Amino acid sequence: MKPILQLKHVRKDIGKKTIIHDLSLDVFAGEVFGLLGPNGAGKTTTIRMIVGLMGITSGEVLVNGVSVTRDFEKAIQHVGAIVENPEMYKFLTGYQNLVHYARMTKGVTKERIEEVVRLVGLEHRIHDKVKTYSLGMRQRLGLAQALLHRPSVLILDEPTNGLDPAGIREIRDYLRKLAREERLAVVVSSHLLAEMEMMCDRFAIIQHGKLVTIESVQELSQQTEKVLFIVEPKEKAAQMVKAHDPHLDIRLVDQGLEVTIDYKDIPRLNAMLVAEGINVYGIHVLAKSLEERFLEMTEGNEIV
Amino acid sequence: MSNLFSLIQNENMKIYRRFGTWVMIGLLVLASVTGAIIIKATHKETNDWKAEVAADSNNIRKILKDNNIPKIQKDHLQKQLTINEYRLKHDVKPMESNTFWGYLINSADIISLVTLFTIIVAAGSVASEFSWGTIKMLLIRPASRAKILLSKYITVLMFAVSMLALLLMISAASGALLFGVETIREPYLAYQNGAVVETSMLAHVLQVYALNCADLVMLATFAFMISTVFRNQSLAIGLATFSLFIGPQITYFLSLKFDWAKYILFANTDLAQYIDGMPLVKGMTMPFSLAVLLVYFVAFNAVTWWTFQKRDVAA
Repeated sequence: MKPILQLKHVRKDIGKKTIIHDLSLDVFAGEVFGLLGPNGAGKTTTIRMIVGLMGITSGEVLVNGVSVTRDFEKAIQHVGAIVENPEMYKFLTGYQNLVHYARMTKGVTKERIEEVVRLVGLEHRIHDKVKTYSLGMRQRLGLAQALLHRPSVLILDEPTNGLDPAGIREIRDYLRKLAREERLAVVVSSHLLAEMEMMCDRFAIIQHGKLVTIESVQELSQQTEKVLFIVEPKEKAAQMVKAHDPHLDIRLVDQGLEVTIDYKDIPRLNAMLVAEGINVYGIHVLAKSLEERFLEMTEGNEIV
Repeated sequence: MSNLFSLIQNENMKIYRRFGTWVMIGLLVLASVTGAIIIKATHKETNDWKAEVAADSNNIRKILKDNNIPKIQKDHLQKQLTINEYRLKHDVKPMESNTFWGYLINSADIISLVTLFTIIVAAGSVASEFSWGTIKMLLIRPASRAKILLSKYITVLMFAVSMLALLLMISAASGALLFGVETIREPYLAYQNGAVVETSMLAHVLQVYALNCADLVMLATFAFMISTVFRNQSLAIGLATFSLFIGPQITYFLSLKFDWAKYILFANTDLAQYIDGMPLVKGMTMPFSLAVLLVYFVAFNAVTWWTFQKRDVAA
């Protein structure tokens, strides 16, 4: 499969300082890709280089195989983005804002504007001035302007910033839907690991302007995990597990048993417990192990 | 990809959808109408214009007898004298400010208000996009930075032209209403090659307007440059308006002492000095001033273009 967005050995120097070192990554159609890193790691700088707001010192960014530096207009027409906050013209209505951006791209019809407005659920307020909008509504309007020209890459910088939990969930579901159904390549940045896990298929961890690693969320969760079995009675369950496989690492906690186990083995262990008459109230894969790895990878520095 | 016309449409939308723009338009209309009312209320009719013109001519003749006056001044006075004689001979009354044409000529003084408003618009054009944060949305579209900047610059000039047209129309309307249009057929007396010729008054008014536009265009371009380089609207407005009001004075004082003052922008923005006045520094001519203005114009634009093209857009 050909990647839609490619970063090849991208480097950014500001003055004598190197902000981004040799960053390479590929993003494919249909996936949500995350840029994860502490504040100041270079996520926003990377995004700014992708969309052409900042120059690239060396290396290149390709959108559908077209270089952003060499043929900006051709490359950028496939990109929709919100860089940092969705700033709009506050003295214009939401609709006028969209008309403004629609005029800057070929082929965005009035029908398309209305379609996008419905898509982000702003149809009741679209003719109000943006200054009367809440932050959530501005986010929606920002999303609308990014989707207007049917881009193949959607780039969102900290998309859940300032949203309430319902809003975060909504945008998360929406981005996944765009990737699955419309085959968009979605790039999001965040400094929150939990958010990345819930939203992304893969994510790159960036620290001090360097790519630490690219992780696949599925892979990660399919590796050996710490799993919490909420069971009753705990002691009996612990004995059962020990008898079943003496090599497993078991720990008794308040709610039940914490077992370090391969992801694929979870159902079998559960079946065994049930068969032995243990009451299983819940099974939780503890994201904590992921968090621990993240801390490990970023050397535990300045995560938030 | 996106065409220049759409970009200009966008820029215009951003200017005229703002309340502040309409305040400026309102003030301009008010200034033009009030000017006419004040002249109507205070102007004193001259009893005998022929006697006054004759007295003026005698005065000029007295000065001309003095051989020590510089040639420039002598030419100027000679021209005045010839026109005065023509007036008496052909019974052409001097233009007074309480006439239709007279008020239109006077309204050219209000152009400095247009200049001020254009500076405000030019200063906000690029800087506001930065302060609103919308520049990040604007520059990630299939439109080159050069095209976006050009659309902004053209829109600023379009604003200036619209304001000038509005000023001319409102002044003509209030002039016609308050002073009547009986004198509308009067000619303008131009001095060409030592002789007086009667030319179209409308052409003269347009010429006066056009000549007054040099500092309008230059200062708008200057404000546009500061706005782009420093991304700060207040700084751009401040520097440009300071130059607008103080620049000519400073240049005048410098010109008394130094010959190089003729290369200063403001020594050259008053192009009317070559039509019916005296050059600020001896040896200055219309082509010289136009050349100096062109150099400043190209320099301002080059700096603006270069900065806007090259610079990274960071927070």
